[in-house]
Amino acid sequence: MAQATRLAVALLAAAWLQLAPPAADAASPPKDRRWTELSAEQQKILAPLQQEWDALEPDQRRKWISMTKRYPKMTPRGQQRVQTRMEKWAKLTPEQRKQARENYRRISKVPPEKRGDLKQQWSEYQALPPQERQKLQSTTKPKSTTKR
Amino acid sequence: MDHEAQFAHRLRPYLNDGARVDARVAARLRAAREQALAAYRPERHDWVALPAGAGGRLGGLRTLWLRIVLPAVVLCAAFAATFAWQQQQRAAELEELDALLLTSDLPIDAYLDQGFAAWLKRRASQ
Repeated sequence: MAQATRLAVALLAAAWLQLAPPAADAASPPKDRRWTELSAEQQKILAPLQQEWDALEPDQRRKWISMTKRYPKMTPRGQQRVQTRMEKWAKLTPEQRKQARENYRRISKVPPEKRGDLKQQWSEYQALPPQERQKLQSTTKPKSTTKR
Repeated sequence: MDHEAQFAHRLRPYLNDGARVDARVAARLRAAREQALAAYRPERHDWVALPAGAGGRLGGLRTLWLRIVLPAVVLCAAFAATFAWQQQQRAAELEELDALLLTSDLPIDAYLDQGFAAWLKRRASQ
């Protein structure tokens, strides 16, 4: 019985340790903060979101704060793209964001040698007659059952 | 223990023979024996501290605590740890994906268009 207790206590301690290190890890989700609580550096990166920051969902705010950690590692072009797309992305509904991620995954699965230059392909797609695009859009219904 | 009991059994008559004492000594011995019995407490092994107020049938409660409550607590803690870890992983994956999407060559509109991915896939298979 004493051995069983010691084993149980050891397992509890192990379970606690499993939880404890990530909490102190830099990769753990950041704390939700109001605009005025952000650092000057974070405010500079997230400037396009300043107006709506306090109205965003706490979960979304945490994601953006987390993004500021990645931001310095991005290429200047990547940083510029994030700056220009940030506001639009934040204004999308959760369902739209989910759909965009789903489409990103679908497009990424097409081998690069077969999909060619994506910007070129997007231009060609936009040049299609509206009826044809509408037909394509209606054949690909959004997956409402996807989890993300 | 059996050997000890047999020895005690054989020893008893000899002790009884030599234990003929007067009434005063017998009374003092009886009082001392009763006092010793009153002070006697069976030895208990408290391996695990029981929750406060868990009096009563200690044996049954201790078994319940060791065999059911403690393993259940350990199991719950393990589940909670796994769930928290999975949530964290999922959030990290999502962040990674969002970063890729926001820095991609294509504008957000391209990913919001339901037909584009289908059109691209169809073209690639041609």
